[in-house]
Amino acid sequence: MSLLWRSSLRYLLRHPWQFGLAVVGVALGVAVVVSIGLANASARRAFTLSSEAVTGKATHQVVGGPAGIPDTAFRRLELEGGIEKAAPVVEGWVAVPEKPGSPARTLHLLGVDPFSEGPFRSYLGGAAGGSRQGQTSIDLGPLLTRPGACVLAAGTAREMGLRPGEAFTVRAEGAGRRLVLAGTLEPEDANTRRAIADLLVMDIASAQEILNRIGRIDRIDLILDEGKAGQRALARAAAALPPGAQILPAAGRTRTIEEMTRAFRLNLTALSLLALVCGAFLIYNTMTFSVVQRRQWIGTLRALGVSRREIFGLVLGEALAVAVLGTGLGLGAGVLLGRGLVRLVTQTINDLYFAVSVRELAVPPSTLALGAILGLGATLLAALVPAVEATQAPPRAALLRSTLEARLRRSLPRTALLGVVLLAGGGALLLPRSLAVSFAGLFAVILGCALLAPVATVLLMWLLRRPLGALLGVLGRMAAGGVVASLSRTAVAIAALVIAVSVTVGIGVMIDSFRQTVVRWLEMTLQSDVYVTAPTRSGGLGGAALDPRLVQRAIALPGVAGGHTIRRVAIPSPSGPIRLVVMGGDPRSIEKLYEFKEGNPARIWPELWSGDAVLVSEPYASRTGAGAGSTVRLRTEQGDRDFRVTGVFYDYASDQGVVLMSRPTYQRHWNDPSISGFALDLTPGADPDRVVERLRATIGAERALAIQSNRSLKKISLEIFDRTFLITSVLRLLAGLVAFIGVLSSLMALQLERARELGVLRANGMTPGQVWQLVTSQTGLMGLAAGLLSLPVGLTLAAVMIYVINRRSFGWTIRMELSPRVLLEALLLALAAALLAGLYPAYKMARTSPALALREE
Amino acid sequence: MIRNWIGLLLSGLILLACREQPSLPHASLSVAGALRTSSDQGYAKALAPREFHFPADHGPHPEFRTEWWYYTGNLATAEGRRFGFQLTFFRSALAPTAPERASAWATRQAWLAHFTVSDVAGKRFHSFERWSRGAVGLAGAQGEPFRVWVKDWTAEGAPVFPMRLRAAEGETAVDLLLQEGKPPVLQGERGLSRKGAEPGDASYYYSLTRMPTSGTVRVDGQSFTVTGDSWMDREWSTSSLGRDQVGWDWLALQLSDGWDVMLYRLRRADGSADPTSSGTLIAPDGSSRPLHLADFQLEGSGEWRSPRSGARYPARWRVRVPGEEVDLDVRPLLADQELDVSFRYWEGAVSIEGTHHGRPVRGQGYVELTGYAAPPRRQVR
Repeated sequence: MSLLWRSSLRYLLRHPWQFGLAVVGVALGVAVVVSIGLANASARRAFTLSSEAVTGKATHQVVGGPAGIPDTAFRRLELEGGIEKAAPVVEGWVAVPEKPGSPARTLHLLGVDPFSEGPFRSYLGGAAGGSRQGQTSIDLGPLLTRPGACVLAAGTAREMGLRPGEAFTVRAEGAGRRLVLAGTLEPEDANTRRAIADLLVMDIASAQEILNRIGRIDRIDLILDEGKAGQRALARAAAALPPGAQILPAAGRTRTIEEMTRAFRLNLTALSLLALVCGAFLIYNTMTFSVVQRRQWIGTLRALGVSRREIFGLVLGEALAVAVLGTGLGLGAGVLLGRGLVRLVTQTINDLYFAVSVRELAVPPSTLALGAILGLGATLLAALVPAVEATQAPPRAALLRSTLEARLRRSLPRTALLGVVLLAGGGALLLPRSLAVSFAGLFAVILGCALLAPVATVLLMWLLRRPLGALLGVLGRMAAGGVVASLSRTAVAIAALVIAVSVTVGIGVMIDSFRQTVVRWLEMTLQSDVYVTAPTRSGGLGGAALDPRLVQRAIALPGVAGGHTIRRVAIPSPSGPIRLVVMGGDPRSIEKLYEFKEGNPARIWPELWSGDAVLVSEPYASRTGAGAGSTVRLRTEQGDRDFRVTGVFYDYASDQGVVLMSRPTYQRHWNDPSISGFALDLTPGADPDRVVERLRATIGAERALAIQSNRSLKKISLEIFDRTFLITSVLRLLAGLVAFIGVLSSLMALQLERARELGVLRANGMTPGQVWQLVTSQTGLMGLAAGLLSLPVGLTLAAVMIYVINRRSFGWTIRMELSPRVLLEALLLALAAALLAGLYPAYKMARTSPALALREE
Repeated sequence: MIRNWIGLLLSGLILLACREQPSLPHASLSVAGALRTSSDQGYAKALAPREFHFPADHGPHPEFRTEWWYYTGNLATAEGRRFGFQLTFFRSALAPTAPERASAWATRQAWLAHFTVSDVAGKRFHSFERWSRGAVGLAGAQGEPFRVWVKDWTAEGAPVFPMRLRAAEGETAVDLLLQEGKPPVLQGERGLSRKGAEPGDASYYYSLTRMPTSGTVRVDGQSFTVTGDSWMDREWSTSSLGRDQVGWDWLALQLSDGWDVMLYRLRRADGSADPTSSGTLIAPDGSSRPLHLADFQLEGSGEWRSPRSGARYPARWRVRVPGEEVDLDVRPLLADQELDVSFRYWEGAVSIEGTHHGRPVRGQGYVELTGYAAPPRRQVR
C-alpha cells in the first residue's frame, strides 16, 4: 500500500504546476468565501454590539414622529403613567475632525439622564451601583452643569489624545461645537469596551443643545415586566403618551435594522460562493486530468491486484491533500483579505443603511469552520467523479486512448441532455420568491451550462476548423482537431474555464446595467439646477433639518425661477421605520421628476396634491406588497392613519423603499414645518455656479449647508454608487483571478502532457518554431473557445442576477445593458491566460531534443 | 436632626475606592458614587441665626448646597395593627451656579427620595429609593402652595395644611393626610443647628414634631385605614459634619403625655460623642428647650447584625434627661429596619416605655443610625 501512495506522491511531485495551481485555486475560493463571511460577521457584530450598548437592557422603546417626543412626555410617563424604569434618550451623530495623530471619526452621541440610567446601560453605572474597586466615579456636577461636557470610552479618549478636562471641537448638525471631556469610561469586559468605542455620552440637556433638539427627545427606553403587570404598565404608559408616540419592543428595532442588510449580506455570500464554485471546477478539472493522464498506470495497478476501492481512495486521497493544503492557505488568506474587505462592506452599509464602524475584524471560529468545510467539501465533491471514473479503468494496461475518447464522444449527447435538464431545473428554482432558492437556481443554471460546454466546444471547433485551416494551414487544422481529439482532457478544462470567466462577465454586466439604470434615473430625478441640503450623515434616516424660511430667501435671489422642498423623515412602525419623503412647492418642479411603474400619471398627481394619498417607490412596493389601490398605515401625531397608494414610481435611492407624500398632506398630520433640503430651478440663461456662490454668501454662512449644482450632485451620487459596488467589483476581480489561474493551470498541464506527441512530431521534422505555433494556437484556441462560450453563459448569469436576484433582494427594475467593454474584457482574460499558459510548454518543447522527449516515458 | 451624611454624599462626599491613579481616571456615571467632593465656595452658609418665615421656608433654599424634607410617622389601624413609614426628599446642588441653558433638562439640582414602610405585624420592612434631576417637572419643591416631589412621590399642601403624602412602589404605598399639629420648632440656637467646630459647620433646622395623621397604608397589595402621628424635619445647609465624625444616632420621640424629644449624638472615630451633639425638648404647647450634650445621656445596648452588610447596630437605647426627669427605654418595633438602598443605614419605628416627671409614659418614635455600615469616609482632595 505504501508503494501505491509513494507512486502517487511522485506523480504529484512531477506535476508541481498542475497541483500547485489547483491548490491556489482552492485557496482563492476558500479565501474569498471566508473573507466575505468574516467581513459580514464583523460588520454585523459591530452593529449588534453598538446597538446593544445604545439600547441597554430596555424591553420597550417609546418613539415619536419626525420631530421626536416632546420633553413633557417623559414627565407624564413617570408621574401619570407611574412607569418606574424609564430613561429618556437624545441621540445623533457628531463628526470629529482630523487632527495630527488622530484620524477623523464619527461618534454616536448618546444623551442620557444619569438619574434614570440605573437599570439600563450597565457601562454607565447605575444609580444604585456605587463605585467599584478601581473605578472612580465621574464628576456628575460638571457633566450636568457645564454645557458640552461629555464622557468617552477611555481608549477612544486616548486615541483622540484627550485628557479629562480638555476641550475639543466636533461638528454636529453642520455647526462646530466645543465639548469638554468630563471623564472616561473603562468597562471591565472587552465586548462592552468595543461596543462603546464610538459612543460620546452626554447629559441629555447638553445633547439637546449640541444636536439642536431643544424641547424634543428621540426616544424613551422602558423596562417593563413580563406578564400581566407588564401589560398593565404598557397600557398605563400608552395612555400617558401623546398620540404621535408609540411603544415598540426594543428587540424589534435592532432586528428590523439588521434585516435591512440581510439581502445585501446574502448577495455578498452568494457571490463569494461563486468564487468557490470556480475553484471547485478547477479541482474537478485537475483531478479529472490526472486520472485521464494516469489511466494506463491505473490499469496496470488494477492488473497487479489493486482493488477498485484502493484506486478510489488513492484519487480521493490526492484530492484531500490538495483540499487540505488549499483550504489551509485559503483560511489564512481569507483572514488577511477579510481585513481589507471589512472596510468595503462597512462603507457600503454606511452608505446604504446605517452608520456602523468596525474597528477590528472579528474572527468567529464558526466562519472559519464553515470555510474549511466548504473548501474540503467542494474539493472532495469535485474529485468524486474522477475518482469513480478511475475505478472503471479495466485491469489491463493496454486500453487505447482512442477508445476512451470515442466513449466520451458517444456520451456527449447524454451529458448535454443532463445539462439541459439542470438548466430547466435551475430555471424552475428561480420562480419561487425565496432568495436562497433563487441562488440555488442560479448555481444549477451554472452547472447546466458547464455540462453543455463539451458539446458546444465540439461544435465550435467544427466551425473553426475551416477558417483556421485557411489561416494557418495544417497547423491550424491540427490545433482545432487536437482539441476535439483529446476531448477527455480539453472538454473539462474548457467547461471549468467557461464557468470561471462567465462569472466575471455576469457580475460585470450586472454592475454596468445597474449603473446605467441609475445614471438614467439620476438624469430624470435631478432636473433642478441647484440643491441645498442640511448636512447629514450618509445613509441617515433624515433627522437633520433646515429652517423653512431659508427657501423664501433663496427663491428671492436673482436668477431663481422657483423650486421645491424636500423633507425626509423616518416614521417608526412595528415593522421597522418607514422612510417618508415629503415634496412641497411648485408641482411643475416636482412632477417631471418621476416615472411610474404603476398608476395613471394623469390622476396620480392631482390626488397626491389634494387628498390623503401617497406614492410608494418600487422597492417599497416589492418589499411590502403595497401597490396602486392599497393603503399604507403611518403613525401620525393624531395616531394611526391609512393613506391611499395612488402609484408606484421608479427609485434607486434606497432598497428599503420610500413613501412619498405632498407637503400639505404631511402638515395636516404632523406638526413639523422644517425641511431637509430644497431644489431651485433657475431662469433660462442663469449660471448655476453664480447662483451657488450667491447662496453660499447669503444663507450658507449661517450654517454649514451643502449647496450643490445639479452637476456636482450627480457626480457625488455616482461616486456613492461606485463606492457601494466596490465590494462587488472586488469579488468580480477575485473570480477573474480564479478563472485566470484555472485557464493557466489546465492549459499548461494539457500541453506539458503532450510532450511525447510533440516529440513524435519533432522527430518527424517539425521545427521548434512550428511547435511554438502549434502549442500557442491550440491553447489560444481553447482560450478563445472558453472566452466565447463564457459570453452567453455570463449573460445568462447577468440576466438571472438582474431580473431575479436583484429584483428579489432590493426590489428594483434594472434595464440590462450589454457593455462591449465587459464582453471584451472576458475574451481578453481568457485569451491572455491561454496564451500565457502556452508559453512555458512551447518553450520547453522547442528546447527539448525529440529523442529525450520520446524517451521520457 | 442630622441626615447629613446622605446630604454629604449628595453634596460631595465620595467613596474613593481606588488609590492615586496616574493614568486617566475611568469611571461610571453612577449617581450615588458620583457626586464628588467639591468646594463649599459659592454657596450660602449657615453662619448665624436667621428669621424663619412660613410657609415660604417650607419651600426650597437653592442657595444652600443640601436640603431635605424628612417625614416619619407611626400609624395603626383601628384594630391596633401598627405601621411605621418614612418618606424623605433630599435636594443637593451639583454646582453653586450654572449658566443660562437652552435645554429644559439643564439643572444644577439633584434629587433623591427614600420611602419605607415598617409592617410590624407582617414583620416586614420595605424600602425604596428614587433619583431624579430637578428639571422638566420631574422633581422639585415650592413653598406656596407647598409641594415637594420626586417623580410621583409627593408631599403637597393646600396651601400648607393638611399636607398630603403619597408614595407607591410595587405593592407598597402610603396615602396620608397630615394635619397641623404643634407649631414649627426651631432647633438649636433659634434654628441654627451646629454640627462642628468650624463656623459654617451648621444647618438651619426646624421641625414639625407632631402632626395628626390619617389615611391608608398598602402592603403586599392589601390596604389598611390608619391613624397616627407624623414628624417632619426640615434642614438646609452647605457644610455641616465635622471632619472626625463617623456617624450618628438620632432619635425623634413622641410621648403619650404630649411631650416630644429630639436627640442626636454625633459619634467620633474614637467612639466619643462630639461636643456639638444636642437635642430639644418640646412641650405639649409647642414651646421648646434646647438640650446640650451635658444635659442628656444616651446609652445603646444589645446588638442587631445586618445580614446584608454585616454591620452591627445597637438594638435598644436608654434615654435620660435628668434635669427634666426623663427616663425612657426605647426599642425597635422590628429588628431589621435597615434601608437597602444606595447607602445602607438603619431608620426605623420604635416604641417607648419609661417615666416623665415621675409618671409612667409610653410613646412612639423614629431612630436613625448611621455610620455603622461602611462608615462614610471623607476624602478631601
